[in-house]
Amino acid sequence: MALKIVVLIKQVPDAEEIFIDPVKFTLNRSQARGIINPADENAIEAALKIKDETGAEITVLTMGPPAAETALIECMGRGVDKGILITDRVFAAADTWATSLTLAAAFNIMDDFDIIFAGESTTDSGTGHVGPGVAEFLGIDQVTYSVNTKVEGKNVIVERSLEDGIEVVNVPMPVLITTLIGSNMPRRSTLRMKIDALKKGITVMDHEKLKLPPEWVGIKGSPTVVGSLKIPDEKKREGKKYEVEEIPKLVDDLIEKGAIKIGDA
Amino acid sequence: MSEFDVIVVGAGPAGSSAAIRLASKKMNVLLVEKSDPPGTKNVSGGVLWGHELDGVIPDWEKTAPVERYVKAKTVGFLTEESSINIDFRSRKFDENRSGYTVLRVKLDQWLAKKAVESGAMLVNGVTVDRLAMKDGKVVGVEQDGDTITADTVILSEGANPRVAIQSGIREPLKDHDVAIGVKEVIKLPEEKINERFNLRGKEGFAGEYVLGFLKGGVEAGGFLYTNKESLSLGAVISMKHLRANGNTRSFDIIEEFNSHPSIAPLIEGGKIDEYSAHMVQEGGYSSIPKLFGDGYMITGDAAGFSFSNGLVLQGMNYAIQSGITAADTFIDLKEKGNFSNSAMSLYQEKLQKTFVMQDMTNFKGIENVTWGNLTHQHLPGILENVMLEIFMENGMPKRHMYKILMDAMKKQNVSSSRMISESFKMIRRL
Ligand SMILES: Cc1cc2nc3c(=O)[nH]c(=O)nc-3n(C[C@H](O)[C@H](O)[C@H](O)COP(=O)(O)OP(=O)(O)OC[C@H]3O[C@@H](n4cnc5c(N)ncnc54)[C@H](O)[C@@H]3O)c2cc1C
Ligand SMILES: Cc1cc2nc3c(=O)[nH]c(=O)nc-3n(C[C@H](O)[C@H](O)[C@H](O)COP(=O)(O)OP(=O)(O)OC[C@H]3O[C@@H](n4cnc5c(N)ncnc54)[C@H](O)[C@@H]3O)c2cc1C
Repeated sequence: MALKIVVLIKQVPDAEEIFIDPVKFTLNRSQARGIINPADENAIEAALKIKDETGAEITVLTMGPPAAETALIECMGRGVDKGILITDRVFAAADTWATSLTLAAAFNIMDDFDIIFAGESTTDSGTGHVGPGVAEFLGIDQVTYSVNTKVEGKNVIVERSLEDGIEVVNVPMPVLITTLIGSNMPRRSTLRMKIDALKKGITVMDHEKLKLPPEWVGIKGSPTVVGSLKIPDEKKREGKKYEVEEIPKLVDDLIEKGAIKIGDA
Repeated sequence: MSEFDVIVVGAGPAGSSAAIRLASKKMNVLLVEKSDPPGTKNVSGGVLWGHELDGVIPDWEKTAPVERYVKAKTVGFLTEESSINIDFRSRKFDENRSGYTVLRVKLDQWLAKKAVESGAMLVNGVTVDRLAMKDGKVVGVEQDGDTITADTVILSEGANPRVAIQSGIREPLKDHDVAIGVKEVIKLPEEKINERFNLRGKEGFAGEYVLGFLKGGVEAGGFLYTNKESLSLGAVISMKHLRANGNTRSFDIIEEFNSHPSIAPLIEGGKIDEYSAHMVQEGGYSSIPKLFGDGYMITGDAAGFSFSNGLVLQGMNYAIQSGITAADTFIDLKEKGNFSNSAMSLYQEKLQKTFVMQDMTNFKGIENVTWGNLTHQHLPGILENVMLEIFMENGMPKRHMYKILMDAMKKQNVSSSRMISESFKMIRRL
């Protein structure tokens, strides 16, 4: 039987196109296009590599607004077999607890799985909670910071990138693995597979289908309270230019301003 | 049997217009666009001139994401120290709204969405490699080794027609054919824009300038347009001069333009929000490739349909119209199921009856005049000298206009016979 892999992805606003509203102090995402969270790109690629080798069947799962469908179609254009979108007004403003719970609930109505991939963290909130949160709700093992995965029999060999080196872990399936950003080279979608994806379409789930009481999810089910938010003042740039020969002077100037320090390495 | 009736390559104004028309006539259309979402890499000044969108979206003026309508129009000649402007505002111009400032990211996404709503399949984020050929006929497109088949391919890939070149249906571009356009979008509060340009509500300003202060024979036209809450400022620079002047860089030109004493106060305090550069077709009539063949048609910039007189740059209107005409051609041919080269010549025939080919023919050769040192270097200088003498009181007796003009031309080393012959050429072509 083919392995079953589920990849959790989140559509995030392109960081280059977000700015802070100077009046309301909120993130203005309205003009930012939605992209797949960069670490999730690597999660998808890790799953596709296993599919290349073993013929696994891959499902991508996301919770988000209806527009997140484009992210699912993009994944299917790369070779993912199925896309599931969890969308419902009652899920809005979920914190990491409620997000993890909602995602975990989807596994109650999906087929069994062998591996779940998630990104290590996102570029828009970046808590790194959701992967581990899902694993805990499902009661399965988790391996974080992965840069490489290989299936061997009923186990997965995972290389974890830690500060002092690479740790190799051998875990039995089912397991949840979070991938580090930049850990592989995501492939591009193809026209043929995107046409097929658009013809096939995606599956949509709401809170009723997931059998989740509205009090458990979204803002009601979110224990996180935002205390306050501080935006550092914008530093005015001096706009000075230095020629290549003047680099020593540039260094001196920066030391004088306290922008850099010379210390013992 | 082909998978699609038509595959349209490129979701710019040309491709999306073609797709909307085809899909609303129940054709099975695939629209392929390399950027995701559509429009993210596309650049126009941009003023959308004309009413061609009427042909595919009847109510477009009410629903399209247009920024402002062009109420005030300026043509200016800038020298290092001066600016001589012709400002045009007219109630007649107002009643007959014909130009709208647009931002391409919004416009292109909106058009592509209309295509999907009409029933086209849109795939974005994928670049078509080349046309798929069988026995010398186009049978579809190739991408990553796969062939997707269609009765006809409409190429709407824009000013850098790599698919057509890769597929051997057109020659690579020459310097003569292309210019480079650079553009900044500068954020500025709506009230400031209205105040500085003397506008109200949805009224907009469109200015085009001959940049007469550039050195080394570099020729460029500058533009400044008002959006709702931003300004579009940029320049179109002729490629052959840019290459000949190794040290001139396109961003230096835009820098000189926006720091010019007559432009700087208009953009003061604004924040650069976007910077882009794009190729522009400048070759005019002589660089139009063969527009159709067995199983394909070419539209928009990819077909060389743009008009530039060194000042105004128009292309979106031609793109939209040629897209619609290509779609109509296919719809006519579909009945008989014949998409051969000779059947396809109907496209050219239909185009001849539209303003697209009529403008291309009427303005044949204009690029040789407009991209010339008379317009770009001497004219601004001549005008400056004339104005200075007319307006500056220097205690000298006044002279006749004719004499002033002759002296100003002499200072610029332009003979009166050259002036007459160039002016004649220009009048003949305009
Ligand atoms: C203090 C605070 C306040 C917040 N307030 C709000 C708010 O008011 N409104 C609001 O909308 N958001 C709010 N958020 C954001 C929201 O909590 C998170 O976006 C969301 O729970 C996911 O967390 P994350 O982005 O940190 O994911 P991480 O935990 O960093 O993500 C790790 C991985 O989990 C997976 N993943 C994460 N999210 C999803 C998802 N939605 N679907 C599928 N997979 C996923 C991906 O694989 C991802 O790479 C807030 C966040 C914080 C920290
Ligand atoms: C600086 C500047 C200012 C301008 N100002 C104006 C103006 O004020 N008014 C005006 O009317 N015109 C203006 N123009 C010209 C105008 O932008 C063009 O004429 C117009 O965009 C042409 O439309 P098109 O649909 O033919 O091509 P494009 O708008 O270039 O669209 C082509 C599309 O095809 C896609 N594509 C290309 N290759 C592939 C491939 N292989 N596979 C899939 N997709 C592909 C591209 O991503 C693009 O979306 C200006 C141009 C520039 C550069």
